[in-house]
Amino acid sequence: MKIELGPLSRIEGHLNVKTTITDNVVVDAQCVGEMFRGFEVILRGRDPLDAQQITQRICGVCPYAHAIASSYAQENAYGITPPANGRILHNLIQGANHLYDYLLQFYQLSALDFIDITAIVNYKGSDRELVQVKDWVKAELASKKAFPGAPFLPRLEGQYVKNDEINIGALKHYLEAMEIQKKGNRAAAIFGGKFPHATGIFPGGCAQNPTIDHISAYQSLIEEVRDFIHQKYIPDLLAVAQAFPEYWHIGQSRGGFMSFGLLPFNPGRDSKRLFASGVLLDDKIRAVDFDRITEDVKYSRYSSASGLKVNEGELTPAPDKNEAYTWVKAPRYDGQMVEVGPAARVMVDYLQGNNKQVTDLVDRFAGIAGISAKELNSVLGRHLCRAICAVVIADFLLNETEKIDPGAPAALELEIPASGEGFGATEASRGALLHYIRLQDHKIEKYECVVPTTWNCSPRDDNGNPGAMESALIGTKVANPAVQIESVRIVHSFDPCLACAVH
Amino acid sequence: MMNRREFMTMAAALGAAFGVTNLPEPVAAALKQIDPQTIPKLLYLQGQSCSGCSISLLQAQSPSPLTLITKYSQLAFHADLSATSGSQAMNLIERYIAGDAGPYILVLEGAIPEKMPSACVIGDKSLASLLESAAQTMAAAVAIGACACDGGIPGAEGNLTGAIGLPEFFSQRKINKSVIQIRGCSVHPDWVWQTVVHLVKIGMPKLNEIGSPKLFFSRTIHETCPRYHDFQQEIFAAKLGDSGCLFQLGCLGPQTKADCSSRWWNGGQTWCINAGAPCIGCASPLFARQKNMPFYRMKKRKA
Repeated sequence: MKIELGPLSRIEGHLNVKTTITDNVVVDAQCVGEMFRGFEVILRGRDPLDAQQITQRICGVCPYAHAIASSYAQENAYGITPPANGRILHNLIQGANHLYDYLLQFYQLSALDFIDITAIVNYKGSDRELVQVKDWVKAELASKKAFPGAPFLPRLEGQYVKNDEINIGALKHYLEAMEIQKKGNRAAAIFGGKFPHATGIFPGGCAQNPTIDHISAYQSLIEEVRDFIHQKYIPDLLAVAQAFPEYWHIGQSRGGFMSFGLLPFNPGRDSKRLFASGVLLDDKIRAVDFDRITEDVKYSRYSSASGLKVNEGELTPAPDKNEAYTWVKAPRYDGQMVEVGPAARVMVDYLQGNNKQVTDLVDRFAGIAGISAKELNSVLGRHLCRAICAVVIADFLLNETEKIDPGAPAALELEIPASGEGFGATEASRGALLHYIRLQDHKIEKYECVVPTTWNCSPRDDNGNPGAMESALIGTKVANPAVQIESVRIVHSFDPCLACAVH
Repeated sequence: MMNRREFMTMAAALGAAFGVTNLPEPVAAALKQIDPQTIPKLLYLQGQSCSGCSISLLQAQSPSPLTLITKYSQLAFHADLSATSGSQAMNLIERYIAGDAGPYILVLEGAIPEKMPSACVIGDKSLASLLESAAQTMAAAVAIGACACDGGIPGAEGNLTGAIGLPEFFSQRKINKSVIQIRGCSVHPDWVWQTVVHLVKIGMPKLNEIGSPKLFFSRTIHETCPRYHDFQQEIFAAKLGDSGCLFQLGCLGPQTKADCSSRWWNGGQTWCINAGAPCIGCASPLFARQKNMPFYRMKKRKA
């Protein structure tokens, strides 16, 4: 039986998943990216300093990651290192964006897969917001509308949390998270100028010299976000995990893992980072070498050559190409499929013992959940790793603010060479992000982006091997093949961003 | 432009949708004739977009996003928030577009790939075919952001997909429907939500020559800039971090009409120029249009 899961909601962008079901098991899955814009061609011939602006528009959910990757790539191409303040502000902007994104992902994008929001009709308390929602839901359900309760109803058939207290508590936090995510973004905007799409981020630093009023405002906002993470987000996540322990064993991807490392401690290109970089293949960690990354397109809608390295990348759309089923390319590391994202970021760091706080948190939560570190490769593992990243990043950001030299410059005066090339690599909230820029005659000659969801929603490579999410779906048992809430939970655990994946 | 009758119907419908009371006559009179069971819903579709405008709408401060989607508006569908998914979601979208689920307002974020329909597909339908059908049944259309208004970055020079905005799409298909156009990359949440409130409370907002509410888009960033005095005194920033007018670094405030300087962004926290960043003209219909029109002029070139 063939069932299509698209259009997938509560993700970024246009994703379909074509499944084949035999005896209530997913025996095949194809991830289909359904939207294409052609950023890399639009960037060619432009002024290089346009890049950190244009590439933010790849994704309005994680624009800052693109601005940072582009800035790193340009710094590499120009041969410059930002002043200490500049790199700290880069970190403060990017880190705050991670915090908002994790909260949005758990509450707004994933929670409705687990939490029974209809429990609100049984609410007997007097919380103003919850009473408002209860009255609204009751009125909607009593109405004769075609779709009462939208956008919260209708929903997919499946098992949801049965405990009303947990459901109503999580719903309250769903509402609070909508307020808290704004605070993370306000903090980032202090230095970035606005969210989404910051104008304040440049290669070599940021547009404004930080002053003490900026710093204290930033600290106050991030402290509120940090409190929410500890007091609400983590308990809610653990409650979901307790209600659905089988999801520690559902949704394993069947390849390696890769992280480019996140948040440098110092301005230099080779600085140690808060989260380490590395590739985990065959249970061994290796150093990342961008030269080993290639992109296959046999099953992607492009007529350009397959298997090209990043600095050779091409983009010729062929919407009707035979056998092609998606706009997403198939990136591979040393020819191998890898998963990127929070689980990869945490595992790669954990296995190298890079960050003691990461190690301690993994050990503590694995102990609570009764799992091993390997089971971070699962639906709940990905959710847990986001929460671990949130804790570690929030503490780091508050430490960073203490290192700012108030009033000192945050940017370099830029001198841009006529030619050159550079790579910029970081971790977006969704995983490993790589930008490549090559200049000729003071213009962009080539610009390439290999983006987290390009890895995770990759189609088959030229050898027919599936991408990370495809492999995580294959083998899944589903109660109702037509609905497949189990598959939808797997997809949401990857937090796909299709605007990023195709760009 | 819509005619008076179309406007009254839409304003009344919006009034009901947004739960606004104390309406001036004759809007209130029209409103009373509307059955609350059938008030239009916001059917929010995404084209060639980055979701940045959706994310910006969630940054609304007063009213809050929660209040906006439960009390002030009726959100039929939004891909980022809806619990529903897959064929259930597609059924919902198609029933609205067929006119079977009651009146609705089409809201579009993102561009339309006019020359390559398969470059934007929702379920098993191209965006272009959904929009063409919706044009026959929608109560009104709102284009949100640079992409939906003018093609935005997908429609910039080098555009491989024929990406265009909704007004141009309707024009090419000879569909005679007006589109309220809220520019910005991304939009400011107030520009969208308050446009609708304005429609209901006071009537159709006055639109400028490019279809955007004058309330937000009548004066240039430059005219209202706190650094305008520096410009008059010829005090210019020479590099990032300097005080003074940012014009010599490339600021596009003189070419861009928007009220960022008084409204500020992210709940009034700050805005681009307050953070030392030159305006890149994201609310201009010419935003990022040409390869030879760079955002910045600050750099020194090495030989």
